[in-house]
Amino acid sequence: MSASKRSASAILAVVLGVSVVAGVGFTLRSASQDPSPKLAASAVDGTIDINGKTYKKAAITLGVYPGPAEALKYDGVHINKNDWVQYSVSHIVLPKNTYVTFTIHGYDGGETLNNTYFDKVVGTVGNVVNYDGVDQSSVPCDLAVDNGCKVQHTFTIHGLPTRSQKSWFVNVPLLKVEEDDNGFVPTTNAETHNAGHTMTFSVLTPDTGGEYVWNCQFPCGDGTYGKFGAAMSAYGYMSGKVTVA
Amino acid sequence: MSEHEQFDKVEPTPGERFSKFLKRKDVSSTVAWAFFYTLVFVLVALYLYPRWMPKGLSNEMRSTTRLMVIFTIISAPVCGFVLSMATHSFLRRHKGDTPPADGPGFSANRLGVATFSVMASILTLTAVIYGLVEMNTAAEASVREAKDAMVVKVVGNQWVWTFEYPESMGGFKSEVLNLPLNKAVVFDIVSADVNHSFWPVQLGVKVDANRLAHTTVTTKPIKLGEIDVKCAELCGLYHAYMETTGAVMTTDDFNKWVITQGGHTA
Repeated sequence: MSASKRSASAILAVVLGVSVVAGVGFTLRSASQDPSPKLAASAVDGTIDINGKTYKKAAITLGVYPGPAEALKYDGVHINKNDWVQYSVSHIVLPKNTYVTFTIHGYDGGETLNNTYFDKVVGTVGNVVNYDGVDQSSVPCDLAVDNGCKVQHTFTIHGLPTRSQKSWFVNVPLLKVEEDDNGFVPTTNAETHNAGHTMTFSVLTPDTGGEYVWNCQFPCGDGTYGKFGAAMSAYGYMSGKVTVA
Repeated sequence: MSEHEQFDKVEPTPGERFSKFLKRKDVSSTVAWAFFYTLVFVLVALYLYPRWMPKGLSNEMRSTTRLMVIFTIISAPVCGFVLSMATHSFLRRHKGDTPPADGPGFSANRLGVATFSVMASILTLTAVIYGLVEMNTAAEASVREAKDAMVVKVVGNQWVWTFEYPESMGGFKSEVLNLPLNKAVVFDIVSADVNHSFWPVQLGVKVDANRLAHTTVTTKPIKLGEIDVKCAELCGLYHAYMETTGAVMTTDDFNKWVITQGGHTA
């Protein structure tokens, strides 16, 4: 083999190798991409003083639905994903060191929690959530009683405590919509709370900023892996990222 | 044949053969490289490992760090020898287009093979015996400490750890792991969903968290400091985020924290 052929073969081998590695990398990256667009909190006029510190304010609204049809029906949200239970968005962007008020419209039923720790509100301002106008620090969840657990899903934020970002933990149990043989039972005030429940709470975002994740602690996937399949094991349904910047 | 010539043909002793073998240029350079690499690994083990390893807040973690250091020192000569051979081969590699003709075949050097085998066996046995002693010492301490230990129930969920403190403290739950200094603790570990692995790094213990089957492990925090709790079993989308923090606190600070969590001091 001539020197030029040897060089060409060597270059071709390197190019092929790099292509294979790059192909695998791009495929994996694409598979792990969040399928939803980002949703950023909107700034709200005014400030608030908490424990002697003044914080700017922001607000964000989310929905959680039994599927895309309910998202469209109740909130006019178009979701182009599988017909699984899901939040309206999965990648949330929040300003750092800010008092952010979340409003979550929840339209789904519920069954039971694997760990009743998650029926408790943790990490919100005052450790409470306002459920359809009433402040509560937890949602009843008695596993020993039939239909004793009133949790719909949870909105649980956590992340890696690193040198550059503070640890942050928030757990908000959502109140389930009761169901009967005909499906969901409309809530008491369907006009103001749509067909589901409206839950609001506020958090103080970490002053360091950082990359966090949120997920649902209610086993709401399909029967695979003890209800942790489908929506619970795919990006963009019952879990996502929280970018604090 | 003269008497003098007959004397010259007497076979050299093994010691003379070994001495002559060591004086060969390729052998002496390989031995020098072996000493160099061995020294590097020993220095890394003695001075860098203790800095690289997490802070030891329990005897288990200190024992783990000590094992890493000693095992590295024990394995350093073997690693040094192998690397020295590789270095020698690399430095004496053929350069140029035309490869040389094959050299003469050679048989194994029995003395060399025996020396390497015996030394490697002694080093390996030393490591095994030392490891067993450390393991048994730790197991014995666990049994002793478990008698008056505080039991903390650990539940692994995708992708959060929760900790349930004893009924004598109010049975409260937390997502952070705080422990009092010098009080043994038994972790009663279970998973609420898939398999996880509970790993409070600075405490030097790591145990599987299984669904429906409880596992336990005992440790005793002996130094104040922060604890990083990780999951060491790939458990789904956000396995990498299944971390939390905690601390080993003075008894007073721990009692204050218990009260803020809605519990009471035992």
